[in-house]
Amino acid sequence: MNVLIVEDEKSMALEMEFFLKKAGYLCDLAFTGKQARQIMSDHPFDFILLDLGLPDLDGLEVLKDAKKNCPEASYIILTARGDLEDRIKGLDLGADDYLPKPFSLLELQSRMQAISRRKSGLNDSVAPLGDFIIDLNKRMVLFNGEEIELSRREFDLLSYLMLHKNRPLTRAQLSDHVWGDFSDDDYDSNFIDVHIKNIRKKMMAFASVDWLQTVRGTGYKIKI
Amino acid sequence: MKLLSKITLYTTLSKTVIVLLFIWLLPGIVKDVTSQYTNHNLQEQKKKVLDNIQKRGIDYYFEGDSSYGSYTLLKEEFIALESSNGHAPVDTIFTDSRIVENDTLTYRLLDYTFEYKNKNYLLEIGKTVSTIDQYNRPLQKVALYTLAGLIFFTLILDLLFTRLLLRPLNLIITSKILNRKFPFKETISPVKTSTTDFKYLDQSLTNLASKIKETFEKEREFTSNASHELMTPISILQNKMENVMMDQELSETSREKVVSMLTILNRLKKIVRSLLLISRIENDQYVKTDQIKPYVLLEEVVNELKDRIELRKIRIVQSLSHSIVLTRVNRDLIFQLIYNLINNAIRYNQEEGEIEITDQIIQGKSYIIHIKDAGIGIPAHELETIFDRFKKAGRKADEGYGLGLSIVKSIAQYHDIRIAVQSQYGKGSTFSIHFPYGN
Repeated sequence: MNVLIVEDEKSMALEMEFFLKKAGYLCDLAFTGKQARQIMSDHPFDFILLDLGLPDLDGLEVLKDAKKNCPEASYIILTARGDLEDRIKGLDLGADDYLPKPFSLLELQSRMQAISRRKSGLNDSVAPLGDFIIDLNKRMVLFNGEEIELSRREFDLLSYLMLHKNRPLTRAQLSDHVWGDFSDDDYDSNFIDVHIKNIRKKMMAFASVDWLQTVRGTGYKIKI
Repeated sequence: MKLLSKITLYTTLSKTVIVLLFIWLLPGIVKDVTSQYTNHNLQEQKKKVLDNIQKRGIDYYFEGDSSYGSYTLLKEEFIALESSNGHAPVDTIFTDSRIVENDTLTYRLLDYTFEYKNKNYLLEIGKTVSTIDQYNRPLQKVALYTLAGLIFFTLILDLLFTRLLLRPLNLIITSKILNRKFPFKETISPVKTSTTDFKYLDQSLTNLASKIKETFEKEREFTSNASHELMTPISILQNKMENVMMDQELSETSREKVVSMLTILNRLKKIVRSLLLISRIENDQYVKTDQIKPYVLLEEVVNELKDRIELRKIRIVQSLSHSIVLTRVNRDLIFQLIYNLINNAIRYNQEEGEIEITDQIIQGKSYIIHIKDAGIGIPAHELETIFDRFKKAGRKADEGYGLGLSIVKSIAQYHDIRIAVQSQYGKGSTFSIHFPYGN
């Protein structure tokens, strides 16, 4: 998958590149709006991550042009401005998602994967999870075809861990994903523990959940 | 009491006192004046008689007799002249009765003895007291009516003028103080007046308001800019740390350190985000065009917080009216306001505690939602500061950052909502949201 990162803050762009490369994406960088236009006209992209606060051009204008030139790409708007208006305008102009800075790279990846899933249909939304099967689109966890009843947040947690399998996630990262703007720090990280306990309890009735591991001093990870 | 009422009251009272004083003094004054005048009159007549005697001799009056007497037709006045031998010399004016042709009348009398050609004479000039007094009453009446009329006239004039004079002051009070809302965003033209004191007052108030506005704007701008500027470095730091965490070679201790750094960074992020939200609200960046049904919104909030409610085994009892619709609000902000208050009610509640949400309408004035928890309560001395930024009422240092209620305050202020808090330390708190409603 080709990703174009349009971000004027160099070290930020480099971190995103480093992360996405590890996750298997091919990345190009543009630090200005003009550069971005240039690169976009050279070759097509699957994802364009666009910072709205560019030094030379209005990010929303760049988005408008890009949508014309690369209509098949998926767009995620990144902005530190965080204005509601930007968000609405961006989504109106055809952006697929919107991430206010500062965001977690894990969140970015999970949004990208969600867009991919949405665009590619059902096929790759179903994955094995130990003896279970998790369906990200239908938001279901199955054991031998039988659905395991998880609450909305429990499923959110499990699927987020699943998307970043084999990587330890911190409680803060998890609560940030689950509660977003409403997450409440330490208060919520305790709830993460309670939620994980509940997930384990519910699933252990069917089969082993050894793959759901507690990482001491960090948080949790799914190891498969 | 208003200044105008005070001045009106004072003017009316003082003028009434003057009139009363005048009524009380008038008879005495009139009597005194007429008596002085009569005395003077008698003296004049005495002079005339003496003059005549000097010029024409005593026989001009006596015409051969040894005495002379003359009186007017109705006996109001008389003159008597006689020789007096052995009479002690007198020159007095007094009141006494005299018999004139069988009528006894009271006179004001002038008695005077003088010597003429080695002989002593006694002159007596009299004027009836009733003639003297006959003008007293009408005189008093006229004086009284004139005074009363004049005083009434000046009173009306005074009041009208005072009203006119104080009009700018009223305008200043209504336009510059009463009808203004912090942070005094709108500029108001100066009040027209020729009174320099008022001009000065008006100018001072305008200056003061613009200074407050300026300071407030600066603070707001600073918060907004600082938050924005902080977001980018926080963003970079977070991403760098996340990448470090991914490193498989990382030792467990190093990873734990990065995790704790991430947690701290998260805290910083939350603070900056909250400050940004507050500055956005204060910058009027939200439109107030939504209509909401409070009970629907509450259900959404409760649903959003379901996990926390269940995990703490808290019972929610709510009885909001289904017919209330609030207009001209920002839905997201009101959601956040209610969310923060319910979230606090959960957070500071006891395990298995209760949260009671009720409402109340004050006809034509407000719609009130009460959120009552059975939590730890707030000590009385901290009640005033709970809405201030970064002030946290006796909580553990790592629990929240004291911005939840500041956000509530900003949202409330933005919507003209009043938030009242009642709390009993150790027993629980009730937050009441007073929405303007019914006008």
